[in-house]
Amino acid sequence: PRPDAAAFSAEAVAALALLWLLVCAPGDAGCHPLTVADLFDRVIRHSGRIHSLSTALYEKHFPSRDNELGRPARKCHTSGMLTPNGKEYAQKIPREELTQVILKLLQAWKEPLSHFNQHIEHHQELPDDSLSKAKQISNMVHELKTGVEKVTEKMQSMGIISNSLNGMASSEGTGLSISNEANMMSDSDFIHCFRRDSNKVQSYLKILKCRIMPENSC
Amino acid sequence: MGDSLTIIPLFYSKDSEEKMYECPDYLTSGPNSCYFDKNHTNPWTTYIITVTATNEIGSNSSDPQHVDVTSIVQPDAPVNLSLETNISANLSYLWAKWSPPPLADASSNLHVYHYELRLKPEEKEEWETVSVGMQTHYEVSSLKAGVKYIVQVRCMLDLGEWSEWSSERSIQIPKEQLPPEKPIIIKCRSPEKETFTCWWKPASDGGLLTKHTLLYSKEGEEKVYECPDYKTAGPNSCYFNKKHTSFWTIYNITVRATNEMGSNVSDPHYVDVTYIVQPDPPVNITLELKKSIKRKPYLVLTWSPPPLADVRSGWLTLEYELRLKPEEGEEWETIFVGQQTQCKMFSLNPGKRYIVQIHCKPDHHGLWSEWSPEMYIEIPTDFRVKDMVVWIIVGVLSSLICLIMSWIMIMKGYRMMAFILPPVPGPKIKGIDTHLLETGKSEELLSALGCHGFPPTSDCEELLIEYLEVEDSEDQQLMPSHDTPSKNTKIMLKETDSDSGRGSCDSPSLLPVKCRESRSLPSALQTQDVRAKEKKGGKGSWDTRCMASEQKTLPCESIKTCTWLAAQLPSNQAAMFAYHSTVEAFKITLNTTNVNNSPVLVGNEENRQSLYPIAETVYDDVEKVSEMEYSKTDQTTVQVRQNEHSNKSPFLNPKLMDYVEVHKVRQDEEPTLLLKHKENSGKTKKCTVPGTSKEYTKVSTVVDHHILVLLPDQRSQNTPVSQEPVAETSQNPQQSQAEKNTSYSTTAPSDSRRDTSGSDYMDPSSFMPSFK
Repeated sequence: PRPDAAAFSAEAVAALALLWLLVCAPGDAGCHPLTVADLFDRVIRHSGRIHSLSTALYEKHFPSRDNELGRPARKCHTSGMLTPNGKEYAQKIPREELTQVILKLLQAWKEPLSHFNQHIEHHQELPDDSLSKAKQISNMVHELKTGVEKVTEKMQSMGIISNSLNGMASSEGTGLSISNEANMMSDSDFIHCFRRDSNKVQSYLKILKCRIMPENSC
Repeated sequence: MGDSLTIIPLFYSKDSEEKMYECPDYLTSGPNSCYFDKNHTNPWTTYIITVTATNEIGSNSSDPQHVDVTSIVQPDAPVNLSLETNISANLSYLWAKWSPPPLADASSNLHVYHYELRLKPEEKEEWETVSVGMQTHYEVSSLKAGVKYIVQVRCMLDLGEWSEWSSERSIQIPKEQLPPEKPIIIKCRSPEKETFTCWWKPASDGGLLTKHTLLYSKEGEEKVYECPDYKTAGPNSCYFNKKHTSFWTIYNITVRATNEMGSNVSDPHYVDVTYIVQPDPPVNITLELKKSIKRKPYLVLTWSPPPLADVRSGWLTLEYELRLKPEEGEEWETIFVGQQTQCKMFSLNPGKRYIVQIHCKPDHHGLWSEWSPEMYIEIPTDFRVKDMVVWIIVGVLSSLICLIMSWIMIMKGYRMMAFILPPVPGPKIKGIDTHLLETGKSEELLSALGCHGFPPTSDCEELLIEYLEVEDSEDQQLMPSHDTPSKNTKIMLKETDSDSGRGSCDSPSLLPVKCRESRSLPSALQTQDVRAKEKKGGKGSWDTRCMASEQKTLPCESIKTCTWLAAQLPSNQAAMFAYHSTVEAFKITLNTTNVNNSPVLVGNEENRQSLYPIAETVYDDVEKVSEMEYSKTDQTTVQVRQNEHSNKSPFLNPKLMDYVEVHKVRQDEEPTLLLKHKENSGKTKKCTVPGTSKEYTKVSTVVDHHILVLLPDQRSQNTPVSQEPVAETSQNPQQSQAEKNTSYSTTAPSDSRRDTSGSDYMDPSSFMPSFK
């Protein structure tokens, strides 16, 4: 687990990096076009940071980390989503579908995160640094989503994946996020579910990357 | 016993009859026995039995034995002993059954036996005996569960003997039977993030057979499954293969223990496989020694991830950490390497052995693996030829230096010893100068013995300076207490440092002493005053006080100037009169070349005695010189030379003193006061300028009619010496020439030193600046 200060500064850098991602279109003068591999590395690192933050938040919230005792009946609003629950499945499903799953997940968390932010400001449950962490997470998820979208575009432009599934992603995602479930999660559930989903996103991204580019440090 | 078959007959009689019968049957019961069958046995009779042994010589009978048949009845032991346990309501009973001993005769059924039972736990020694009565069964309670008991019985007829104990029977009392305790799930681990295993700790046994089952359910599902595989991972474990492993779902796992008495379930254990990954240690650890550009070797360590971990698909990303310590060291140095599978180590010492280990963990939440097996590193020592050569040269040089040093020590050891341990000056007999005796200058001796110079007589009084003051105060010069006709000599009182053999040119003690003196109160000064009183003629005493230079800063250095004739007094606190050059000049004029021109040494009050002669001679000289001076013009220069003092002057440490050769004053030539430093060979003195003699050839001025200013000889010295009266003058060149510790004190008087207090001679320390 990285120290928080490093995480924050690192994510600032990452934010810039992603920004650059947005600013530099292929063909712009003065910009080095980023390869898909670079993009993937960046989004993977970013997702790793998100996961670290969420884990830190989780550990603060559940100090007794004895195997998540007591409350197995946590319902995440993304539980209904069909996500591969193992390596084999993640490797078997088509790339487009995997990409879409990632985007769906990120989309699904958009609103709950903002809702959570508003929520915890009024609640004094969490200690201060957790508060700042939670705020950060919201931004970072947004950035990550943007980054993944960029990667997707790039992949599509390079013919790595087909263009077919773009449209469906957003609608499904929005459908999920609007549901009441999301807004009714308790803080514990929220933290727990988010931690899990951030890990999912990170794992899927890694698998996707190694599927597409097996030679690059895979 | 006789050796032949001796039949020992047995005879018996009944009751009180007289008749003796013989044993009816010797054979049935074996040798040395007699069997009485039914016909001969009567339970109601008392038999009196004797046995007689006879041989050729004689015979002997046993004592008669009275036998009552009923009392010697001993039955056989009971048979068919059987045991059973019965556990009811938490109490254990032992149920024992047996049969009476069998008899050939059916009529034995009439016999009524008494029985006795004994039992003990198997490990114990002591039996517990219970009287049973006439039953052939018995129930024992209060037995310990889980203990094996041994039981025996015996029987007895009414009045007879107890039978032997029956053979043993044992029985195990079973333990209390309980349902099992709760088992505990120890841990669940996944080595590669694809399968996982759970281990539990079995419940304590109730002695009964206990069976464990593992049950699990998944998050969001109601259905409960049983462990798919109890075997693969060993006893008390459950292995979930790939098919049964789901990620990002929480498993609810429990273990149930069942035995005859009941069952018990462990606490539920919640597991998300993602977070229980603990890989195997890395493998294929290889070392490679590489040389960098600067020929410093460094080590490259490479390894591979454990074989099971699927790093290639990106599913599991491992981070590595290695630790290192010298073989004999205590503490490990841990280095986090990250995701790379190699590491370069630069900071290892050649020739040392190190131990290195690596372990890994998944990059997100997970557990560190075990450390890989120890790996030993040894960096070869790289002795370059160049290094060796350097060391050899260094060694040779240092040994040479040592040799030289020791040689010097040997050569100059003598002097060094004297330096360190100055010889104690012998006593000086008043008036006798051993030097004189040795040099054999009889005339000098005679003159010394004569009345002229020695001992001082009234003739000489006029020449004597009655009173010499050496004041240790600022702005004071040596002042004669009496007003001898301007013949006051200034005598410097110098304190020598305790070990000075250095001519006290650079006696360190002088410096502080002088400083001290200069700063000290007049009262203090008094104590330092050395008074030397003339013995003769009450000419007054020389008050010698150390003159402090007028300037505060100067005194320290003036010491050096004062002590150009370093005299080593036996007493460390001896103050030494430094001979002012003028004094010596006077001496010369007296033409007493043989005079003990040792510096006037005025020691402490203790040493007063020894100084007299010299003082007196000095007086002479001084007087004469002063006379001479008196008669001369201001610019008279007096060449004063002093004889070289032998090394044997008691006042001087022969080895350490500067011996000044004072030549005669030459009237014809330009008079110069030549004070030569004669350096003793082999002596290292800071003061001496080897080979050069400082000749003070000129008296530059006589100031105020009582100050004789001497200048070094221009000719003999390199630098020109100005002859300015008073102040400045030759200070600088003198300075440059004179070594710091030169104890010549000839210069123009400094400006500040214009004391008209009546002293004749300038305290050379006043010429201080020149000798800085």
